[in-house]
Amino acid sequence: MTESAAAGIHPQPTAASTPLAPTKLQVRDLHFYYNGFHALKGINMDIPEKKVTAIIGPSGCGKSTLLRIFNRIYAIYPKLEAKGEIILDDENILDTRYSMNKLRSKVGMVFQKPVPFPMTIFENVAYGIRHHERLSRADMDIRVEQALRSAALWDEVKDKLKQNALGLSGGQQQRLCIARGIALKPEVLLLDEPTSALDPIATGRIEQLVEELKSEYTIVIVTHNMQQAARCSDLTAFMYLGELIEFDRTEQIFTKPGKKQTEDYITGRFG
Amino acid sequence: MNSQTLYLRRRITNAIALGLSMFATLIGLAFLAWILWETLRQGISAINLNLFTKITAYGEDGGLLNAMVGSLVINFIGIAIATPIGVLAGTWLAEYANRTRLGESIRFLNDILLSAPSIVLGMFVYTIVVLPTKTLTDGSTTYSGLAGGIALALIALPVIVRTTDEMLRLVPSTLREAALSLGVPQWKLTMQVLMRSARSGIITGILLALARISGETAPLLFTAFGNLYTTVNPMDKMASLPQVIYEYANQAGDGIHALAWAGAFIITMFVLMLSLLARLILSRNKVSHD
Repeated sequence: MTESAAAGIHPQPTAASTPLAPTKLQVRDLHFYYNGFHALKGINMDIPEKKVTAIIGPSGCGKSTLLRIFNRIYAIYPKLEAKGEIILDDENILDTRYSMNKLRSKVGMVFQKPVPFPMTIFENVAYGIRHHERLSRADMDIRVEQALRSAALWDEVKDKLKQNALGLSGGQQQRLCIARGIALKPEVLLLDEPTSALDPIATGRIEQLVEELKSEYTIVIVTHNMQQAARCSDLTAFMYLGELIEFDRTEQIFTKPGKKQTEDYITGRFG
Repeated sequence: MNSQTLYLRRRITNAIALGLSMFATLIGLAFLAWILWETLRQGISAINLNLFTKITAYGEDGGLLNAMVGSLVINFIGIAIATPIGVLAGTWLAEYANRTRLGESIRFLNDILLSAPSIVLGMFVYTIVVLPTKTLTDGSTTYSGLAGGIALALIALPVIVRTTDEMLRLVPSTLREAALSLGVPQWKLTMQVLMRSARSGIITGILLALARISGETAPLLFTAFGNLYTTVNPMDKMASLPQVIYEYANQAGDGIHALAWAGAFIITMFVLMLSLLARLILSRNKVSHD
């Protein structure tokens, strides 16, 4: 397998000691440059399928940067450059020939702040689907309902699908964004600090949702909140200054971290 | 210095600054009220049904019907030309050329056009529209409402470009990222998401451009010229409110002067209404962000 061969390139921790599940995303010797600044320095990691992988680390460590490479959203800004490989289903998504359309239908993303489109609740969910598929009205209704149900929002909005999404509360808006993402039936779901703008109750609902969604999706979540990583992830990656310091099962990271830096961070000695 | 005197000094400074800015605000508002009051007081004797039913051909016994119709037609032409070009150009600047050297240069040139004296634009349109049509039609068509509309379009254009550009750039980049991360291409994102978000701001820009051009006189003197009779044919010479005010102000006669004041009152009220409408649209859509 390419996995073991490629893993030897860089002397860094790559994945959990014993694999939890088949690998969905393989990151190989990934470097990233912001206008010349070396922001990610040779990241290697295997992200397992249908598990929740949390990425933690102090501000500026490159965790969001890493996440934003997984769907190449960084590419909309000039002067940003990624080198290395990210293998998704045997194909390198960093290859310029890899279709952006395909990548973004396979890899969905939810952002820090809820960003509903200025449309009705229904249209918010249907918008992405319409771009990728032609569905009859009835089929579309079903798809939208499924997505809203999976995002645990259906019961709250089923009577006001035609209302503007901007009228929802912050937590509802964020679940709408998750519904919008999973409506495309992606394989991987990226969550970039999805609860940092939400109150504890809304946060709890999102975390519960993450737990439910991992039976169908490979989830990668960037978070500032260590309790959150401990609560809802299977694996945790700790990053510091653009490097992946440690990547292991979550319980391992939080109970018996292998590296001094990881221990210092999770015990709050810096960060 | 102890904290007591420091606190006192800050309170005094605050009171002075507050007083000065309130005074400045009052001066601004006082002039607006004065203008409205003065135009109303001077024009009151001409504000009656005749104003809206009779034309300027009757002079002192007439009204301003032809000028109002002309103004509506010319302003409409101006906005109809400037809106599509301005909105598209502003969209290009904000979404495709933002932070590029070409984009910055064009933004700068647009700002120059924004502050270009309107009489220069009038002369320009006289040279490139009025003179050629005169040659083409053997002198039968020279000045026209269309030429006036084109001159006004040149004044409205940079206003619309600028507001569209600014309103689109105000849309948070997270909204762009969210749409692009669904695989939606840039043009769909722009047309279906960003435009919807910036719509009220862009409409406001168009209304403000309309307010700006509806008082313009200089560019119309060389282009639409004026007409004693009512016409809606854009190829005819055409009267307009500012041009009639300009002419009546230069003529003798209390009735004529009252008509000029009444015209000024109408324009001022129209501009005020447009501005209020623009504010209303903007404030009603404030909730849509964040």
